[in-house]
Amino acid sequence: MRKLLRVEILLMGVVFFCLASAQSRGQQPQSQSPKQPSAVHTAPSSSEGEKRFQANCGRCHQAPQDLSPREVKAVVRHMRVKAMLSAEDEQLILKYLAP
Amino acid sequence: MLKKISLLLLLALSGAVKISAQSDTPVITGGLQYESTTSGGVTTMQPVIEPVVLIPLGDHWLIETRATFDEFIFREDGTSGPYHAQTFSTVDYLQLDYIVNSHLTVVVGRFLTPFGIYNERLYPVWLRNFQDVPIIFPIGNLTTASSDGAMIRGALISRKDVEVNYTAFFSTLSTVNRFESGRAGGGRVGVFLPQKRLEVGVSYEKLLQDQRQNSVGAHFAWQPYSAPLDLKAEYAHSRNGQGYWAEAGYRFSQFRGEDSWLGRFQAIGRVQQFEKGTASPIDGLPGANTRQVDFGLNYYLPHNVRLNTSYGRQFSPLGNSNIWNFEVTYRFLFPLIPGGHN
Repeated sequence: MRKLLRVEILLMGVVFFCLASAQSRGQQPQSQSPKQPSAVHTAPSSSEGEKRFQANCGRCHQAPQDLSPREVKAVVRHMRVKAMLSAEDEQLILKYLAP
Repeated sequence: MLKKISLLLLLALSGAVKISAQSDTPVITGGLQYESTTSGGVTTMQPVIEPVVLIPLGDHWLIETRATFDEFIFREDGTSGPYHAQTFSTVDYLQLDYIVNSHLTVVVGRFLTPFGIYNERLYPVWLRNFQDVPIIFPIGNLTTASSDGAMIRGALISRKDVEVNYTAFFSTLSTVNRFESGRAGGGRVGVFLPQKRLEVGVSYEKLLQDQRQNSVGAHFAWQPYSAPLDLKAEYAHSRNGQGYWAEAGYRFSQFRGEDSWLGRFQAIGRVQQFEKGTASPIDGLPGANTRQVDFGLNYYLPHNVRLNTSYGRQFSPLGNSNIWNFEVTYRFLFPLIPGGHN
């Protein structure tokens, strides 16, 4: 049990180290291409659709790399129900993924 | 009754494919996985396919279904003897959604029981950081992790800085093959801060059969913008026991970008603890107090392929054991109707 406790403390230490280093790095601006949707965990850009994507979908998913416009509606509708997105979120994310 | 509902949904599904050819394109997506597990020295292999079919209809309707087909391959005497295989298939959900507005969506059919966040959001093989489900997963999902009945869900408050979401459901007892469920009711309420990507919430389920027991749960999820960090935790309690799991994932994308060889790695860790309550032969929980710690390394290959590796150590009065896992997972997505890119 002591060993397990040590491992847990070590794990928490790693998490806090990552958080601390991330806070300092997170203050630097990051540039992103609007054509190439950034993947999970990146900072929000100026695009409102990308912001909504990162805030909601980006918590679990990477932005799809090869999603065709005709496939987008079904995927976003599915996520609207699962993630309880608003109508506005759905429209903005649709425009972002299939401009 | 349930057979009729299922038949109607299937008929609607097949008809909808034709209708939607003129409006919205239905898609088939999901995951394909090969998993190898060595637990306590016994190795098993498990190929899994989880297809999801999505059929949007107009601006308010969606038919969606997910099934799981897996084969469990094992040796006759655990570590020796000839290999045997058992095949399983389940319908995880087959539901019709009607989106009334941002505050209300009505769901009927078979759906994932909305208790905690693991079952609805993290269960698919292409989303899990660790391939083993948490020890406390059966709490709140006592019969199966799916329910047959109706559910309402939506956002009570939906603003840029805060969202309050909810689900409420009722499920009927079903013994229909592949559509099994228990008679139960419950719901979940969550508060989500989009600008922090922080969510907390609570869940409740009352089983309306057998011992009519209550299950309660709480969840936490945080994916800070400032770091490629993924933190999640759940707590659940019922008369069969209580426990928690806490998981952290760190993607090395900060150093050379997420498409670099280093940025494709993700380090993961998880701790779990379970305290046994009143034992029940059908609770699906360990027979004694259990603690477990897991570490792993995932690698995200191009074209939606991911490699997962993990090592876990389980501590239990029934015997400690090592758990090794290796998986390769492919996430696919295709339109159901042939056509051009646009």
